[in-house]
Amino acid sequence: MSKSRTPSITPWLFLSPFLVTFAVFTIYPLSQSFVLSFQQTFGPQSTVNVGFENFRYLLTDPLFWTALKNTVIFTLGSLCVQLPLSLGLALLLNRPELKGRSLFRLIFFAPSLVGLVFVGIIFSLIFEKRTGLLNVALHAVIPQFPLEFPWLQNYVMPALIIAALWLYVGFNMIYFLAALQNVPGELMEAAGIDGAGPWDRFVHVTLPHIMPVAGFVVLLSILGSFQLFELPFVLLGGAGPENRGLTLVMYLYTTGFVTGDLGYASAIGWVLALILASVTILQRTISRKGEE
Amino acid sequence: MKKSSPALLVIYPLLVFFSILTLVPFVWMICAAFKSNADFFDSLFLPQGNGFLGIAWDRLTLANFSKLFGELGMLRATMNSVFLASTTALLGTIGGAMGGYALAKFEFRGRKWMTRLILTAMIIPGPLLMAPGYQLMFNLGLLDTYAGMLLPTIAPAFGVFLFRQSILNSVPMDLIEAARIDGAGEIRIFATMVLPIVRPMIGAFLMITFLGTWNNFIGPQIMFQSPEKFPLSVAINSLKGVYGQDYGMLMAGTLVSIAPILVLFLMLQKEFIAGLTAGSVKG
Amino acid sequence: MLRDKPILNLPFMLNWLRNFSLGVWAIFGLALVSSVYLMTRPSASSGDHAFWLFARLHLQAYEPLIGEWNEKNPEMRIEPLLISLPAMERRLFSGFMSGTPMADLFEITQNVTARLTSGPVEDIGLRDLTDLLKAGGLSDAINPPSFSPWTVRGRIYGLPHDVHPVLLAYRSDLVEAAGIDVNEIETWEDFVRVMWPLQRTGGAGGEDRYLLNMWQTNAELLSVLMLQAGGGFFDANLRPVLDSEVNALVMATIATWCTGPKRISIDAPEFSASGNALKMRGQVVAAIMPDWLAGVWKTDLPGLGGKLKLMPLPAWTKGGRRTSVMGGTMLGFNKNAPEEVFKKQWDFAQFLYRSPELAAEMFRRSTIIPPDRNLWSLPVFDEPDPYFSGQPAGRLFIDQAPDVPLRVSSPFFNGANEQSGQALLRLVEYANANGVHTVEGLLPKSRELLAVAQAQLKRQMERNVFMRADQ
Repeated sequence: MSKSRTPSITPWLFLSPFLVTFAVFTIYPLSQSFVLSFQQTFGPQSTVNVGFENFRYLLTDPLFWTALKNTVIFTLGSLCVQLPLSLGLALLLNRPELKGRSLFRLIFFAPSLVGLVFVGIIFSLIFEKRTGLLNVALHAVIPQFPLEFPWLQNYVMPALIIAALWLYVGFNMIYFLAALQNVPGELMEAAGIDGAGPWDRFVHVTLPHIMPVAGFVVLLSILGSFQLFELPFVLLGGAGPENRGLTLVMYLYTTGFVTGDLGYASAIGWVLALILASVTILQRTISRKGEE
Repeated sequence: MKKSSPALLVIYPLLVFFSILTLVPFVWMICAAFKSNADFFDSLFLPQGNGFLGIAWDRLTLANFSKLFGELGMLRATMNSVFLASTTALLGTIGGAMGGYALAKFEFRGRKWMTRLILTAMIIPGPLLMAPGYQLMFNLGLLDTYAGMLLPTIAPAFGVFLFRQSILNSVPMDLIEAARIDGAGEIRIFATMVLPIVRPMIGAFLMITFLGTWNNFIGPQIMFQSPEKFPLSVAINSLKGVYGQDYGMLMAGTLVSIAPILVLFLMLQKEFIAGLTAGSVKG
Repeated sequence: MLRDKPILNLPFMLNWLRNFSLGVWAIFGLALVSSVYLMTRPSASSGDHAFWLFARLHLQAYEPLIGEWNEKNPEMRIEPLLISLPAMERRLFSGFMSGTPMADLFEITQNVTARLTSGPVEDIGLRDLTDLLKAGGLSDAINPPSFSPWTVRGRIYGLPHDVHPVLLAYRSDLVEAAGIDVNEIETWEDFVRVMWPLQRTGGAGGEDRYLLNMWQTNAELLSVLMLQAGGGFFDANLRPVLDSEVNALVMATIATWCTGPKRISIDAPEFSASGNALKMRGQVVAAIMPDWLAGVWKTDLPGLGGKLKLMPLPAWTKGGRRTSVMGGTMLGFNKNAPEEVFKKQWDFAQFLYRSPELAAEMFRRSTIIPPDRNLWSLPVFDEPDPYFSGQPAGRLFIDQAPDVPLRVSSPFFNGANEQSGQALLRLVEYANANGVHTVEGLLPKSRELLAVAQAQLKRQMERNVFMRADQ
């Protein structure tokens, strides 16, 4: 096959929008972020070099550790609740004889179209004490359930997990559904003929086949959950009582844009990036091992 | 072997149950948007009364909406959202398609590195760039401008990646080769041959980017200071600050913010979902 | 051959365009329409001078006077604009730090001032008014404590808008029906004891009743009560004194109000539907009431008119202070505005804040008393207030005005607020977890938690390199 000679500059021309934008708006700020993390600022103009002070302070900063703790708890909690549910829904929808699948799919997917801000606003009203939809409904069904249940004061994490659940279950379900539809039907039939019950079929045929997608969904969920910000910010109007709703990115935001210390915010950003990088590497290693 | 239909007897109710759970916040929000504040706490969904189905249809009101668009300038915020979302979607799609095409159908030195760069770029966490990005915008004098919001979106790495996948998988190399031998210009090949083939991905990516930008909160919150530039996400949030207990109006504003997306989604459903899953199943 | 086919052939182009689905066209159309719309909008008028306000009540009260000023001074038209306080804070900060557009004149609260003054002195965007105030005789005319929240590092950065003395509002209908005489109440201990017959805990929703509107995450009321008792956050040298004995005592006492067998408090927040519902149903007997809150209740809770009366706050010790201070607004000026503009705006500020008509109007609309002592003799303050069962609300607040505690202001005010709020919450949770419900029992833990809060605050203060030079 003859290689047609294309002028070697053309691909670069086609890539130029990406390259220029990337260089100016990603590479440059990335390098600046490194510089900033060794500074303390009051707004973008006044900067003072402070060496490793930011990182030293970070190690013993109770707010940072609260934010980290909250973020980790949210991520794990969300993962444990969302994955089974979205997988379960996908399994329910996977029946070929099911009518109205598109409609159900649309319904479950609809919440993920709603922006985090708007979810926060809707749920801030739903979680209200005494007058919010959730407490009123639960109280109607279970009379012992207190109308005063303080979701947004004492049970911030469960409230966030519930809101995130509503938002993302449909989204993850779509991925699982796509994966399930790729499971070869003959294998399922063969297993059935061999006498395997539905649970065995699930564990031995279905699960292995959807592992790659599951891994992808888990990674996406972890990365997304770790960067949680808008939801608690709008739901609680900030960090909430005793900073129960403070997440890493929220702390970054308030440090950088409310207090004005862009330097410390950058330091926090780097720690976050490190955590996310570690998680990604970990997931890749595990999934690669799994494939062997 | 026929699959057992009794299973469906359990599945349908389950699905309906979960559907109701999913839809309840929507329904509640829609009802709230049309209720006056006085009625708000008397009834959970629609006001009780003497009308059809025991609902007081005459107590429903459009007052919330008229206040939003009259006094509070939500039309401007809506237009801001529309402008930012659609322009970002178009810019991102064109830039992404161009980049994806280059990586998919050209052989050149550095191609492998570029592909690796794209993959790395996709995992750089946004928050890391928040603080220095702000400083950069300040230095460029682009704070509080539309340009500052749009310029960084011209060719997102994610777009380049998706289009590369799509072009690689659906555009046959022979077609391109033949066209090149025929002497057609690269731009012509790109526009008349490649783009039509990846039309599903175009639809998908436009929708994905439109959705992402429409719902984006942090970006405009940090970038814009003049209220007339606020998109709906920021505007509704600041509404909460001033009119926090005007639940009806808050829900009306939220409804206005969500409805366009749902409509657009209905039009571009299939492509959207196909585009989302394109990156995952292939691994 | 492709080379020969011209690309600009119309049918060819139309065919090409048909490649794109409806959705794509929708997006393209939206982009076009919205761009056109935005381009045809007039940009924000910069001719008028913006005056940013966050309180609707203020705006309504000022409007007639602003109109008057604009007629007499067409070259210096003032345009008032209502913005929510967090938004204003953001815009001011961004305006000062990053040069984005901002107003020259604005009304802000103490937490905003603290934020704006926590960097290097050169970067404080607020104009230093200390000398002007002295020259204009305002330093004497205005009630001294009113300057305290706006005095940062020795300089005054704002024109005080108010005094905000605090009284106790109580349901006279419930209290008098129970035969309780409020004159027996001198201290908070008296309050709990004397009002106890009205306390009804544990009723099944709607039947319980609490004596006081207070809760453990209300850091603001905590500081109000600490100030009343003589405590507070900072000493005269701006050193943090969170862990003072007085503060510990106040916090321990409040904890016993919030939880335990002697609980008397319930959270009925302002500006919330659930809070208002509680008040309307008579489930809250008394509330700590600064003058501005009286105005808010009149608007939000008209149904309570004629059922309330005012009395001085119960003191912490016999003979102690019977008022406190809560909230406060100042008028700030942009340091970077040109001199001639500022001079005119200073005149406008005098016109607004020292005008007897405005003071009377402001009081009628919002029950807020002015800080200018010369205005206190206005007859409007002695008018019987039907909302408070005919009491002369204005005079009652003014009587307490000279006793209003000083608020030492530090750029770290917000941090101090947060730390003390957390300490109270933790103390209440400790009380619940360990079943300790007496003041003496909680005092050691209270001291400990405040010491921790103090240490945290100190660390934050030490971290700030811009302020180190001052310390």
